[in-house]
Amino acid sequence: MKKILLVIFLVPLLAFASSKPLYDFTEKADEDKFFNLIANTRCVVCQNQSIADSNAALANDLRNKIYTLVLEKKTTTEIEKYLTARYGNFILLKPPLESNTLILWLFPLIASCLASIVIYRNLIR
Amino acid sequence: MLVNKNLIAYLAVGIFLIILGYELFYSKPHEIPSPLIGEALPSFKLNTINKQGILSNKSLPHRPLLINIWATWCYACQIEYPQLMKIARDEHTPIYSIVYKDNAAKVQQWFKEYGNPYVLTGDDANGNVAIDLGVYGTPETFVIDANGKVVYKHIGIIDNNTWNNILKPLLRKLSSQ
Repeated sequence: MKKILLVIFLVPLLAFASSKPLYDFTEKADEDKFFNLIANTRCVVCQNQSIADSNAALANDLRNKIYTLVLEKKTTTEIEKYLTARYGNFILLKPPLESNTLILWLFPLIASCLASIVIYRNLIR
Repeated sequence: MLVNKNLIAYLAVGIFLIILGYELFYSKPHEIPSPLIGEALPSFKLNTINKQGILSNKSLPHRPLLINIWATWCYACQIEYPQLMKIARDEHTPIYSIVYKDNAAKVQQWFKEYGNPYVLTGDDANGNVAIDLGVYGTPETFVIDANGKVVYKHIGIIDNNTWNNILKPLLRKLSSQ
């Protein structure tokens, strides 16, 4: 009876078994680089998910591509350049600070400055 | 003075709402402009679907052409297919294709049933070349100029409207250059 109960309780845990392929690395630095890259690469067909978190087919392909590039000893910058040359800055979850992304980075600062001014003026009134 | 102040505030809110409305209802977040536009087509090399040749960026002729990324399992590609057949039959634009994550036998069967509008079809069975080309779905179609540069990328189905209003005028312009 105990054994049956054990099986009943353990079987649902199989649902947590990852369906993602395992990536083998000989060097820890490559492994860190790979997991860092996939965590910061956007799944372009998903809603704001990284390819590390997505099971979409394209996310899987991109993970495999990054894995191959890491094994080819490409640097993080080279791999990011490869990805942005094909999918644009959109593929990076943290877009770089460039002329066309300036508003994106500066808007929170401008908005909080304006909000502070409004609050300050209301307070001293 | 108070009126002016209010007016500015209303204007600012109004502009903000217009931008918000535009982004909500009119922007196409999935149609990311391809950074490849204006660049040389990335190098790729694929076996053709009949295993009798090679389709690569270097094997393409030096003339304006289309590269269609498609698959037999893709429903939108099935809808697009008659239009591609029509272009191949009535126009002078060569269409090359890359079949994405498909089975070669199924593709051959497809050609037998529905015809083959393509000059050559490369077999991208693992989807690797699609990533090299920045593809994120099927169908997608690249317009390539005589110098092998990407001029335009159409995401989604090419219908009569797309062909007559976008692709045909663009190809005509490229041919006259």
